[in-house]
Formats: sequence, C-alpha cells, structure tokens
Amino acid sequence: MTRIQSHPVLGNTSERLRVPFYFDENLYEGYESETIAAALLANGVRMLRVHEESGTPRGLYCNIGHCMECRVTVNGESSVRACLTTIENNMKIYSGQQLPNPVKRMVEQE
Amino acid sequence: MFEKMIICRCEEVTYGQLLLTVKRHQCTARELKLRTRAGMGFCGGRTCRVSLDRMIESVIPNTPLCEIPLKYQPPVRPVSFGTVGEAK
Amino acid sequence: MIDVIVIGAGPAGLSGAIECARYGLKVTVLDEFIKPGGRLLGQLHQETSGNWWNGIKESEELHSKATSLSVDVQCGVSVHNIEKVDGHWYVHTNKGTQLTSFVLIATGAAEFPIPVPGWTLPGVMSIGAAQVMTNVHRVKVGKKGIIIGANILAFAILTELQLAGIHVDRVLLPEKSPFSQKAAIPQEVLKSLLHSAHLAPSRLLRFGSKFMNNEKLRRLGIRHYPKKGFKLNGTPFQLRKAALEIVGVNDVEGVLVADTDEEGNTIPGSEKFYEADFVCIAGGLYPLAELAAVAGCPFQFIPELGGHVPVHSEKMETPLEGLFVAGNITGIESAKIAMAQGTTAGISIANSSQKCSANIDKELQKAVHNVHNVRRGSLIHFNPDIESGRKMLKDIWSSQYEIKSSKLNNLKKGS
Repeated sequence: MTRIQSHPVLGNTSERLRVPFYFDENLYEGYESETIAAALLANGVRMLRVHEESGTPRGLYCNIGHCMECRVTVNGESSVRACLTTIENNMKIYSGQQLPNPVKRMVEQE
Repeated sequence: MFEKMIICRCEEVTYGQLLLTVKRHQCTARELKLRTRAGMGFCGGRTCRVSLDRMIESVIPNTPLCEIPLKYQPPVRPVSFGTVGEAK
Repeated sequence: MIDVIVIGAGPAGLSGAIECARYGLKVTVLDEFIKPGGRLLGQLHQETSGNWWNGIKESEELHSKATSLSVDVQCGVSVHNIEKVDGHWYVHTNKGTQLTSFVLIATGAAEFPIPVPGWTLPGVMSIGAAQVMTNVHRVKVGKKGIIIGANILAFAILTELQLAGIHVDRVLLPEKSPFSQKAAIPQEVLKSLLHSAHLAPSRLLRFGSKFMNNEKLRRLGIRHYPKKGFKLNGTPFQLRKAALEIVGVNDVEGVLVADTDEEGNTIPGSEKFYEADFVCIAGGLYPLAELAAVAGCPFQFIPELGGHVPVHSEKMETPLEGLFVAGNITGIESAKIAMAQGTTAGISIANSSQKCSANIDKELQKAVHNVHNVRRGSLIHFNPDIESGRKMLKDIWSSQYEIKSSKLNNLKKGS
C-alpha cells in the first residue's frame, strides 16, 4: 500500500475520481487533482528524469517548486515541474534524456 | 569522499571543482559562479546558493555578509522565451 | 486595476489579503502551488492545550474567509519578476503581466540544503518534501527512511511521519563539512534543541533540558550519549553518528554511517551501512526573498532571522514605496506570527492607499503590538535569539530608513 488512506488526525481520504495518464509511454492511474509527482510516487515511480548531461537519475527533491529537480515534459511542453502540475486524463508525460553538450566538451579541452 | 560530492545539483558542480577554483582564483561568489557555472542552472541557485556562500566563507574568511553575496537576476523562475516576450 | 497583488497564499499572504479586502481594496493573491496554504498546509502538531494544529484546516479557513471578501486567489501562477514603472508595479508571471499599486511579497521560506555525497539519487528529498507528500498528498514517501539533520523542523516532521504510519529508522547528523557547519557538531545540535526541549516528544530530552543548560554537564552528556541513541517515539536519535554517503544505483538503497566524537569528527573504522529506501535532508529554513531582491529592495544579513532579509519596518513596509513584506520572508518564525504580520501588512497597505479614507493608525498600532504578543506567547522558536534579530532590524530601519519614508508620507498628504 503506497497511499495513506486513513490517518488518526487528518481522517480518511475521500473517494476521488481515477485518472489515467502516461509516463514514458507506460499507462498509470492516479487521482483527480493530484500532482504528477505524487501520482507517480504512488505508482512506485521515483525516477522522474535523468540529468541532461551525465544521465544520472533524478527524482523530486523539494516538492514545492523551488528546486526544479522534478521537471518533466508534459504534452509536448518541456521543463514542467511535476510537483506543481496536476495530472489530467491521458496526459502524456516524458522523463527526458541525456543530451550531448559539445560546447562544454570544447571548453573542457581548452 | 567530499571531493566528488555534488554541490550544485543542476550543473553537477562538485566540491572538488569549487574548492580548486576558489583557492586558485581567490574569487568572489559571483566569479566562482561564472567560472564553474555553479548556481547558474535551472533552479537559479535556489538550492546551492547558501552552500556557495558558506564555501567562500570557509576558504576566504571575513567575506562581507551585509550584502547579498550572490545577486538575484530576473526571471527568478524559468520561463519560456514566449512568456518573456509577452511581458515586455 | 487591481489595488493589491499578494505573492504567496500562505498564512502571511492570505491574512494580508483578507485585511486589505476588509478595507475595500481589490486584491489578487498569486501562488504557484496547486492549492492555497503554503507551508501551513503540511503542519500538524498537538498544542499544549491538547488541541491539534491542523494546517490543512487552518488554510481552508483562511482561504474561504478571503474568497468571501471577494479576494481573487489564483493557484498555479509563478511570479518571475516584479518591477516599478511610472509609479505602478508590474508583476510578471507565467500567465502574463498584471498591474497594481501595491505588492505584498509573502513568499515564505526555502530549505537549507546540506549536501551529502549521493544526495541526487531519487528517494533523497528535503524534509519539507516528505511533509507535503505525507500530509497534503497522502502518499507514502517510502517504507523505511533515515533523516539527516537534527533540528526543530526535523523533529516536528518526524512526528508527522510517525503519525501517518511511515517508518523512520533513525535520525542522525550530517558529516562535518564547510556546508553542514554547526549541524554536524553534537554539542551545538543539542544546545539548539534544548531551547525547545519542553516540546520534545521524549521525556528524556525534557528531563535533559534541566541539567543540560550547564556547559560542563552538557559535555558530559554528549560524551556518554548512547551509541544507539535515545528513542523518540520509537525512532532513535543518534547524536553521535554522521551520514557519510547515501548509497544506491537508480535510487536510494541505504546510508553509510560512522560514529563521531563529541566535536563531530568521524571515527575511522566505525563505518556501518544502514538500509533505507528514502532519505530526508533537514537543513532548516531560510527566507525566500528573491523577488524582493529583483524589485531592488535593500537587504540585511541577520543570522537570528535565518539569513538575508529585506529591510522592513514593524509596519511591514519596505523602503520601496508600495512594496510590503510579511511572513517568513522577514525571518523564520511560526505560522501564527506570519498571520499576525500579514494582518499588519494588510492594514499598513490600506493606510497608505488613497482609497481608504478612514483613520486606521490605531488599528495599525494594535496589529504591530499583536505581532509582539504572539511572538512572546509562542512556545516554538526556530531561533532562540529571534527577538534580538527583530530588534536589530528595527534599529536599522529607524536609523537609516524611517525618516525618508515619513517625509514621503508627509509629502503625499500635503499634495
């Protein structure tokens, strides 16, 4: 169980509408008005992207929009913060990939 | 172990790289930023700013602290070129 | 045109908006999170009265009060720049630019990071991130976690995680480095914790506070601090262990830990690996003041307030005409103080607005007074020297800025 349905002080979570969405072409299900980061974590997905240059895995860090670590591509728009964006029906989310950086390589060689 | 520790997560700048730069150039925070790109990535330095300040403090003591060591530049959130254009 | 744009829908921002609206001003509140409340949303603790402070409920109450006064609260809006052109403030957001006479910046605080080798692995997060995931999103951050960093915020959130049934295996210190500073020195950590020991969930810590205020006894206490640590509601707090590295390939698998001496130096050969699938880094909070900086507001470095803060008066004005601040951006304190400051800022704005003709000087004085009262009455202080930090800033204001701004007011009234 990955969700906290009952809570001694906050009470039980209410019934919510299920929302299907895609992350890197895989189908997942989350709840209405839930952030991408929360919906993916509830599905056991922690790795949200890889570092553009080194390719190292990254996940959410601050969860409130400060650190930009959770940025993903949503319906074609890049650099969208997964922690601030709610999932929508059949939303297509991509984690992004390692990109070549020829300029930096040139600078390093100098 | 600290040598390879990442300080600036966005640009993956390590402690070793920063230390070398601070020692070699005795730099200000601004210069350190420009030389290493630390704090110049996606988050605008929101995560590593404090670390960079502390680092300079530890290598070059008595760095004045009354002023903001690392200047903030707009936009303080990443924006697409379209959005910046609209704002003008 | 909008009279006031409030940036940040936390306790300070919403309280400020409510007050402005009460005096008939047209107010818009902008916030980048999915719902209003800011850091207040995640807060959940039992007060000495036995009542629960439920941040979600408090946020909802503030929000509904604001909307009932026709405040326009917009979520999912990020402000990336503010500037003054021809006497008006331009607030630039991801949804376009808005024009206003007054701006209240109530952007709260960001978390101090403590860099630890391996901290970029998925599953490593700031302690605040775990709080929001648990209480706001109601999703478990993992099965077994380790908290690196021992401060008031860390222990408050530890209790919240425990309440939600999340297993935190241990709380330990970061390794000594130029970045962790005092957070890695057992003596310093204990000293700062003892200031709020009456809130400690453990009887032992509470008992400890009585004799631990004595330096010699404190040293003795640290020397004999049990390796296993004292348990806080089931989670050991290991003051004499430091996190050397967070280990994992695709995500967190555990933390490499070493024993330390009283000064926080690691003891070679004592390294041990502890399994965990999530790690929280707790470095504390600092005022998130970047928008005040780009607006051109002068700053002061006041460690007691949490770092660099925009210069402001007790009436929450800044030296820039029409720009006000409230809440954690002015110094790290509790949500209740943020609310009192927000209210003050709201009345202050109404007082400066030509739209509000009533004489509300008295109201303003009362609000300023109330901030002091709330501070005096509050049990938890993020920094024990908060009062002296506030005093320092007040003196700076009255010696360097007040004359200028009162002259400006007289000029306005004369015209």
